[in-house]
Amino acid sequence: MRRSYLFATVASLTLACTPLLAHAQFAKPDEPTAAVPGPGNAHEPTAETPVEKGFFAPPSPFAPQKAGVNAANLPDNPAIDPAEVPQMAPQESADPARGDWVAYGRDDHQTRYSPLDQITPENASQLKQAFVYHTGSYPRAGQANKWAAETTPIKVGDGLYMCSAMNDMMKLDPTNGHEIWRYNAGVKYHSIPYTAACKGVVYYTSSTIPEGQPCHHRILESTLDMRLIAVDADTGKACSTFGFNGQINLMQGMGESVPGFVSMTTPPPIVNGVIVVNHEVLDGQRRWAPSGVIRGYDAESGKFVWAWDVNNPDNHNQPEPGKHYSRGTPNSWAAMTGDNALGLVYVPTGNSASDYYSALRSPAENAVSSAVVAIDVKTGSPRWVFQTVHKDVWDYDIGSQATLMDMPGPNGDTVPALIMPTKRGQTFVLDRRTGKPILPVEERPAPSPGMVAGDPRSPTQPWSVGMPELRVPDLKESDMWGMSPIDQLFCRLKFRRANYVGEFTPPSIDKPWIEYPGYNGGSDWGSMSYDPKSGILIANWNVTPMYDQLVDRKKADKLGLLPVDSPNFNPKGGGAEGNGAMSETPYGIVVTPFWDQYTGMMCNKPPYGMITAIDMKHGQKVLWQHPLGTARANGPWGLPTFLPWTIGTPNNGGSVVTGGGLVFIAAATDNQIRAIDEHTGKVVWSAVLPGGGQANPMTYEANGRQYVAIMAGGHHFMMTPVSDQLVVYALPEKKG
Amino acid sequence: MSNNFGSRKPAEWLTLALAIVIILLGLPMVIMGAQLAMLGGSDYYVICGIVVVAAGVLILMSRLLGAFLYLAALAGTWLWAFYEVGVDPVGLLPRVFGPTILGILVVCAIPVLRRMEARRTTVGGAI
Repeated sequence: MRRSYLFATVASLTLACTPLLAHAQFAKPDEPTAAVPGPGNAHEPTAETPVEKGFFAPPSPFAPQKAGVNAANLPDNPAIDPAEVPQMAPQESADPARGDWVAYGRDDHQTRYSPLDQITPENASQLKQAFVYHTGSYPRAGQANKWAAETTPIKVGDGLYMCSAMNDMMKLDPTNGHEIWRYNAGVKYHSIPYTAACKGVVYYTSSTIPEGQPCHHRILESTLDMRLIAVDADTGKACSTFGFNGQINLMQGMGESVPGFVSMTTPPPIVNGVIVVNHEVLDGQRRWAPSGVIRGYDAESGKFVWAWDVNNPDNHNQPEPGKHYSRGTPNSWAAMTGDNALGLVYVPTGNSASDYYSALRSPAENAVSSAVVAIDVKTGSPRWVFQTVHKDVWDYDIGSQATLMDMPGPNGDTVPALIMPTKRGQTFVLDRRTGKPILPVEERPAPSPGMVAGDPRSPTQPWSVGMPELRVPDLKESDMWGMSPIDQLFCRLKFRRANYVGEFTPPSIDKPWIEYPGYNGGSDWGSMSYDPKSGILIANWNVTPMYDQLVDRKKADKLGLLPVDSPNFNPKGGGAEGNGAMSETPYGIVVTPFWDQYTGMMCNKPPYGMITAIDMKHGQKVLWQHPLGTARANGPWGLPTFLPWTIGTPNNGGSVVTGGGLVFIAAATDNQIRAIDEHTGKVVWSAVLPGGGQANPMTYEANGRQYVAIMAGGHHFMMTPVSDQLVVYALPEKKG
Repeated sequence: MSNNFGSRKPAEWLTLALAIVIILLGLPMVIMGAQLAMLGGSDYYVICGIVVVAAGVLILMSRLLGAFLYLAALAGTWLWAFYEVGVDPVGLLPRVFGPTILGILVVCAIPVLRRMEARRTTVGGAI
C-alpha cells in the first residue's frame, strides 16, 4: 500500500515536470537586457534639472577621424561627374540562366524565385546532404559571440560565390563545395558592430575591361570595416583598376568614429553602372552618431559619383577634407534593390540616431526615416519617398529588401510594383515609378501626443489595408502565458504594470511600455519570396513583443549605458538591439523582450513565429498560414525540449520559392530547414542543421542536379548555435 | 504529540510535504494576485490563492476538508479557464495543467488524510 503511494507520487511529480519542458523561449535571463528598471526608477527632467549648455547641440562640423577608422589606410577617393559613368554592360542578374542564382534575391527583381523543378513536393522527402563547406569564421577563444553569418551564396556559371561572416570571399565548386579561390579580407575582430554578418556578394560584368581579361567578371562586397572590395571572379585576385588595388575606403567623409560604429553587411546593388552603398550605424549610441549617408560609386573605377546626405540635400559631393556628412541622420542597413529601367535604387531606411527619442530630429530627417526612398542614380536625389512609420520611436527601421513585381493596373495594363515588408507586419505595395500605393493605404489615428514632454508623436500612422496583416491582434492580459499559473500571473502583472494602448504605444519614463509588434518584426531582413508564375507571396514573421523604458541620464549612467565610442564602453553592457545610452539626448533606453526574465520564456502565448502565403493575383487573400518552427531546441531556462510540437518560434532569415512548387526556409530557432508545399503549406521535408539557419537559403543547378544551400551560421541574438558551415542538399544521384 | 509524529508513515510525510508545496504555490498567487487585482487585472488569482493556501494549511493540520477545498478550487479553476480561453489547449495548458497534477496528488492523499484524521480524533480524544 505504502509503496503504491510512493509510486503514484513519483509518477505524478514526473508528469508535473513535463509542462516545464513544453514551452518555448528565445533568450537567457542573465543577459544585460533582462529587466527594465520599473516605476520610481526614472524621472523626467524639469526646468531645474542641470543640463550642460549646448549639450544637445550638434557637434562642430570639424571632427577629425582617428587612425584605424580607415581600415586599410586607403588614400582619399577621387570623384567623377555622374555623366562620366560608363554605360553598363548587360548583366547576368537581369535574366539569370535557369540554373543560376545571380543576385542576393536571385535576380534584379529580388524575387527569391527559381524556376528549377527537379525537387518537387512528391520527391522532396528524399533530399540528402550533398556536401558542407566550412567558411572558417566563428568566434575564437576569448572573443564574445557576435556571430550571425546571414550569408546567401550566389551561383553564376561554374562558381558558387560567397563571403564568410568576416568578409573573406570565396569561389566554390557548386557540385562538391571544393574551394577554388579565397580572398582574405583581413577584417579585424574589433570592427564587428553588433553582429558579424555578410549577407552576400555581388556579381558584375565590366563594360570597360574586355572579355577574357582579369576583372571582366567581378565579385564585389562591402565589409564590416567600411570598405568596398572588387576581385576577379575567376581568380579572386583584387581588381587593380577598381579604387586602390581593388578597394575603396567608405569611412571617407564620415568624420569621427570608432571601428564597429558603422559597418556594412548587405550586398550593394549596381544600377546603370553606379554601385550604391548604405551602412548600418549602431543603434542607441548617441544623437550625433556618424551619418547615414547613401553613396554611389562608379562600378568600373570605384570613383565617387554622388552622395545623398539627408540634412545637406543639395550637396551631392564628398565633404571637403576635415569635414563630414551630416551626423545622426537615418541610416539604412537593409539590402537595397536596384531598378535599371527607371534608374532608381530603392533604399529601405531606418531611424535617425537615438531611436527612441525624436525631439532632436530635423524635418528633413522626419520626412525620410523608416521609409522607402527611391534615389535617382544619375543625381543622388530622391525621386519619391514613401514613409511606413511617422516619427518612429519604436526601432521600426525597415530590415527587409523590397521585391519588385508586376501588378495588374486599373485599365488592364501592367504596373511596375514594389513590395515593401515592414517590422510592423504591414506590407506596402507601391507603384515604383511614383511611390504611390497600388493597394490602399489609410492614415489612421495613433496615440498622441505621447508621454515625453517636448517630443510629441504623430497623430496618425499609415496602414496597408489592402494586404493581410502579418501580426496577431493587440495583446490582452489573458494572452499572457507561462508554464504554470504563477509565471502566467507574473506576466499578467508585467502586462498591467506597463503602459499599453496597442500598436504605437508611445515611449514612457515613469513606467515601462509594451511594444508590439516588436523590433524583430513582423518581417525582418529575411524579406519575402514571390513566385511570379503562381502569384504567391511567401512571408515569414515574428510575434515578439518588447518591454521597454526610457531612463533619465542619471539612471542611464547608473546602469552603465555608454556609447560605443566612449573610452569606458563595456561591449557586454549594451549593443544595437538592447539597452542604449542615447548620449546627447535627455534619456537612455532599456529594451528587453516581453518575457519572464526568470524562465526566459516569452510572456505572450505562442506562436512566436509564423509563415504565410498570400495570393497576389486573386485579391491578396491568405492561402495558408502556419506557425513556423518546433519546440525541439527551445524551452524554459534555455533547455531544449526535443518536442516535435510546432509552437512557432521567433525567426530570422527568409524563404525561397521554386518552379517545383516548393518553399525552402530555415529561419526558425529550432535549427531546421524545411521544404513546404507552396500551394498547401504542408511541410514535406525537414532536416536538422549543424547551427542556426538564420540566413536566406538559395537553390541552383549544376551538372543537371538541383541543389539547395543554406548557411547554418547561427545567430547570437536568436541564441542559436553558431557554425561556419554552408550545408547543401540535393536528391540522390540517379544510378547509371 | 511527539510520539504521534514519530510514528508517521512515509505516505503521511508525503502528504504533509504536499501541503507545504500547496501553501508555497498558493502564497505567490495571493500576493501577486492582490497586486494584479489592484491594477485592474483579473481577480481570479487572489481569490483562488486564498482558497489554495487555506486548503494547504488544513491538509497540514491533517484535515480532510483541506483536500476537498483544494479540489473545489481546482474545479473553479477549470471553469474560469474555460471562461477565459475556451477550449484552446494552448491557453488551457498554463491555467489547468499544473493545478490538475497537484489535484491528482491531493486525491491520492485523501485515504491518508482519512486515516490521519481518524487517528488524530482518537489520539486527541485520549489526551
